[in-house]
Parts: sequence; structure tokens; C-alpha cells
Amino acid sequence: MNNRQDRQLSPAELDAFGAELDALRQRTLADLGEADARYIRRIRTAVRFCCWSGRGLLMFGWFPPTWLLGSLLLGLGKILENMELGHNVLHGQYDWMNDPEFAGRSYEWDIAGPSDFWRHTHNHVHHTWTNVLGMDDDVGYGVVRLFPEQRWKPFYRWQPLWVTLQAVLFQYSVAIQHLRLDKVYKGKLSKAEVRPLIKQFNAKLLRQWGKDYLFFPLLALLLGANALAVLAGNVLANLLRNLWTFTVIFCGHFTEQAAVFSKESVVGESRGHWYLRQLRGSSNLNGGPLFHILTGNLSHQIEHHLFPDLPARRYAALAVEVREIAERYGQHYNSGSLWRQFATVLKRIWIYRRAPVEPLAASV
Amino acid sequence: MHLLPVALLPLCSLLLRPLRALVARGWLRESDVDAWLALLNPGLRLNRVMARVAARHWVAEDMLALTLRPNGNWRGAQPGQHVQLYIERDGVRLGRSYSLIGVGADGSLQIAIKRQSGGRVSPYLLEHLAVGAWLELGSVQGELHWPQQAPGVLLLAAGSGITPLLGLLRSALAQGFAAPVTLLHYVREQGQRAFVEELQALQARHANLQVRWALTGQGEAPAELQGRFAAKHLQGIGDVAQHAVLSCGPAGFVGAVQQWWQALGSQAELQVEAFTPPPLSAGNERREVQLSLARSRQVLSAHNQASLLEQVEAHGLRPAHGCRQGICASCTCTLVSGVVRDMRSGALLAEPGQAIRLCISAPQGDVEIEL
Repeated sequence: MNNRQDRQLSPAELDAFGAELDALRQRTLADLGEADARYIRRIRTAVRFCCWSGRGLLMFGWFPPTWLLGSLLLGLGKILENMELGHNVLHGQYDWMNDPEFAGRSYEWDIAGPSDFWRHTHNHVHHTWTNVLGMDDDVGYGVVRLFPEQRWKPFYRWQPLWVTLQAVLFQYSVAIQHLRLDKVYKGKLSKAEVRPLIKQFNAKLLRQWGKDYLFFPLLALLLGANALAVLAGNVLANLLRNLWTFTVIFCGHFTEQAAVFSKESVVGESRGHWYLRQLRGSSNLNGGPLFHILTGNLSHQIEHHLFPDLPARRYAALAVEVREIAERYGQHYNSGSLWRQFATVLKRIWIYRRAPVEPLAASV
Repeated sequence: MHLLPVALLPLCSLLLRPLRALVARGWLRESDVDAWLALLNPGLRLNRVMARVAARHWVAEDMLALTLRPNGNWRGAQPGQHVQLYIERDGVRLGRSYSLIGVGADGSLQIAIKRQSGGRVSPYLLEHLAVGAWLELGSVQGELHWPQQAPGVLLLAAGSGITPLLGLLRSALAQGFAAPVTLLHYVREQGQRAFVEELQALQARHANLQVRWALTGQGEAPAELQGRFAAKHLQGIGDVAQHAVLSCGPAGFVGAVQQWWQALGSQAELQVEAFTPPPLSAGNERREVQLSLARSRQVLSAHNQASLLEQVEAHGLRPAHGCRQGICASCTCTLVSGVVRDMRSGALLAEPGQAIRLCISAPQGDVEIEL
């Protein structure tokens, strides 16, 4: 179903392609300053406003307008915190500010998975080996088959069901990725090796559940409010965040036009080739400024993958130049509306649940 | 008016203890707590040291003394030590070290800031920092101490090197140090002599103190010594070899003092403190450099041709890292001092406290990193 029409680039062209993107990166880096710092602080303030006002409104119990608005605000706060603030800060996009609050190496986000896990599975593995089968575990997260190149297993037959479960519990699915339970199950990783990770995971989970499902409901009880309404509001907020982040993230690399790569193709890879792979393996979503902020600017997935450490608010401007460069080098620039792109992802989930039809040996 | 008066800040430190424990265990985010505290009073923080500018006065044409009142998180320091001071410029938090010239009984601090023309911090502080403004203070460092037992003390300062020595001198005289003390301060021009009135008053009050200035610039001033540091400037001090010597200033000046000292063959104590040398220009021929690791307290020999990550690994260390090509930021580490080169862009990074990536940074000169 992939009908990309990309021009093959010679090694010299790849180098020139890489140099152009490097120059673009340098220009943006040199321009970072006051406005970028003010922006991320405003996002941080918006997160606080949404979360605190949402939690405040939930204290009014089941009264539909306050309960619904409270849950939505809390969900919005969590979405902003995970996407535009947490994800981007964890990439070190704001390290140049030297502000400990926005330091990628120490930020801890409001989600089940410890930041340490994410820094490895996402920043390192996924961003270095984007869409390389067998190296990038984000391709289907081990439960979904999205590309014909992935080996089929009987388990994939029910993948629409697995994906639905994954969407609902997305934060946990992302969190346990780092535990490599599949390797433990197969005996490739010893229990002793996983134990410290599980301990770290449990500690984070305890804090998250303690805050959302224990502390605030108990506080409601103490204030004479409805604890159950608070609990339900927190569940809804987390669910909304899970569904939204799942949708955005699955649109990033699994759309119709997204390419996957073999392990062999990345041996001794040049910087230009790495750039090219990021461009071919990622897909953008069209939308307005608010939409881009809500996706943490992952709607500019291509730019994010080319420049993971540049502040995400710059991606919209970078996209204009990247699109132009891609065109000059004869590369398809994969962009579409959220629903169109998401529909192609769903199509992949549906199609590739089935085993490939064995080609006849004689037909070669 | 703030919800919480400044006078109550030291008291709050105790009350915040439970919150501090929750933050330390990861139950609360420090920046969120700090945001609430800052609403009560702009100087109130959970752990961070904030200080209010209580007074400012010029002590030379290009040097400003500031009196600071820190919040309850300040853990104290000795005169002669230096403290990191942070401000934000163009969205970047910049830290600079300034020596403490005085520590008041009321908990106030005094620092002096010399204008570094072309600098990003000192010109701003000198021109725009108003009384009442809040600054953030960082860690306190410095090993200089007063040689209490010495039969005589010689203080050799150049430029802003006067500040730690003045801090030590003030407190020593206040505690009744009676042996002879000579202070020799090297400045470029007459107007750069700092704390002149105060030093002259001290001289009048303490017969054992002698203060001299030396001008290294072009201007003629018959009353002062002329030229860069030389042994002849020390004539009339008595037996210099018996004096404990404290020297502070730019690396070149301190180096000259050390050479003179070695030639002298003195048995007494020598303490020096040199400012970090300015960033080197981008010469890329192979050069041996010294790599200091602040956390593991190691000094390694290194060179400017390979990344910091490769070089510390070659010494058997195993710092956290990931992609080894500047993508994933797993190896991010704080630059304490020195200059590193971004191997991808060739850009030089010299900002203390800056986050650098070990896998794509090569040391350009002697470097200290938080590892």
C-alpha cells in the first residue's frame, strides 16, 4: 500500500542533503532566545492553570457542567504536559536555557512511565533507529503488525483488539516498553536484570496513582466533596490523554506513505542517510496553531525527527524550508489531515492482521 | 506589598521542611511548589537561594559593590570564598562567580562586580540591577584562607582579584590580626583602584597595614608604582621570604607571582586563585588538555581531537550515553568551566553551567565537567 515515489540519492547528493539540513539546524540554533524561553514558560503556566483549575472544579461533585469541564481541563493539562512540555523538554530542546526546571536530563513528567525509561526507549532507540524493523520497537510496540515486511504471528489476528486496549491504556504500554518483558519471557533477559527497572516503575506508578486516584479523592472526602466524582474525573482525564496521545503518535510513523527500513540498510549510515530515513519514515498532520500545540508539535513529525533537539515551536517555520528541500531532492513529503492519516493507520492495522499470502515458488 | 514580609523568610525555611521531603522523594515537583511560594514572596523558594539587592555603591570607576540579603536557604560562607550568581539574559540562565568581600552579622553578603567589557553579565548587572531586585545564588566555593600564624602577610591582587583578598583582610583586621600586612593591587588606570577610601581608612586605623597600587596602563601617576608585577615593587616590605603570600587575579598575573615565588625559595605559605582563562580561539591542531571530573573528583589527561565521551571511556569510565551521534541527549552533562567545541558545527561553548553532550563535544582547552 506504500506508493512513495522517492528519487534514489547518490552518496554525494546525500551529503549535500545532510549539509543543507545541518545548516538549517545551525541557523535555528543561533536564533534561539528570549521568545523561546517565554513560550515554554507560558506552556508550563498553562499546564498548571489547566490541572489546578480542573482539580478545583472536580471538587464540586457530579454536577455535570463542573464535573465535565473539570475533567476536560485536567485532561487538557495532562495532554499539554505530556506533549508540548514533557516530551519536548525530555528531548533536551530547552537545555540551552540552563534552567534546571527545563533540563531534559532531570525532568520528570506526569505519566506512568518514568522519564528515565523514556529517555532510553524513545530518545535513544526510537530516534536513532526510526522505523528500522527489529531495532525500533515503536513499530507496532510488539503488539501490532503494520507493515508487510514484519513477520506475521498468529497473535496478530486479533490486533484490532490489542490496539484498542493499547489506546485505552497507552501510558502503561509506553511505560512497560522499557522493561522488555518479551525478552524476559523468552529467557533472553534475566529476572535479576529487570528487577531494578520494575522497582523504578512501581515507584513511579505509586506516585501517579497515589496522586490521581488516592490523594485528590481523599482530599475531596476531607472537604466534604464527592470522592467518587473526583476519582471518576481523574480516570476520564487520564483516558482522554491516553486516546489523544495514542492517535497522534500512531500517525507519526505508520501512515500509508511511511517507509520502513531493514537492519542492513543502516549499517555505517551517514548523517545524510539518517536525515533521509527520518524524512521517509515520518508523517505530518495538517492543522492550526492550537492543534499543533496539542500534539506537542508532533504534527510536525518530520521536522521533529530531523531536529529532535530544536524547540518544537520552531517546527512550523522549519517545515516550510524542509518541504522545499525535500522537493528539490525528489523526496515525497508525507503530510495530511489528522483523520485522513489516522484512517490509513487503521487500514494498516486491519490489513496486516492477516498472514501474507505465500508467493508461489515457481512464479519468480 | 507581598503576602509574606521579607523579614519572615528565614523563619519559613523550617516550616517548609515537610514539603522539601515530599519533593526530594518525587511526590511533588519543586518548580510547582516554588511557583506557589513565589506568590507569597518573590524571595521564597523551597531549596533555591534567592537574594535581594539591598544596596549598591560604586567602589571604582568600573566596579560596583552589592549588598545582598539571601533567603532562609542560604547556608553561609566565609569571606574570600566566591559564590555563583545567576541572572537570565535572552532566555538563557547565566552564572558567574563573584568573591564575597564581606559577610555581615545580620546574614547579609557583600560582593563586588567589575565590568568585563563585552561580557554578557557584568555590564547588565552594573547598569540595570536595581535595589530591591531578586537574584539567584548558587554554590559557594574557594579555598583561600587567612594565614593566622604568619609573621607577615603579602596580598597580591590584580584587577578584580582584589575582592577575595579584601574580604579576607577585612575580617582578619577586625579580629585583631597584628602582624604586618601589605596589599599590592595592580590595575590598568588610576580610576580602577577599588575601595580606595575604605583601604585608606583601614590603613589609618591599623598601623600594621600598608596599601599600594601599581598601574599597568599608559597613564603616569607619580604616587603609584608602575608596570606589571615585578620583585622591585616589593622593596621596603622587609623579609619577603618570611611572608605568607596570597595572590589572586588573571592566570597570567598569578603565574608571574608563582614564578617569582619559586625563584625566591621561600618556606612560607603561598595561596593563589586564578580566574578561568578566556576562551581559546579555534585552533584545531592537536593539543593536550586537562579534563577534570567534578563529581568523581578525577583529573584525566585528554586532547582536543576526540569527543569527551570517547576520552572518558578510554580512561575506563562509563558515563550514561545513547546514540553517540548527538541525537538522543542521553549523555547530556553540565559544563562547569572551560571551553568545548561542538564537533558537528564547530561552535565553541564556554558558558559555565551549560548543558553539553559528551558524544559530540571535544575539549578545546582545560575543561571541568559535572561527571
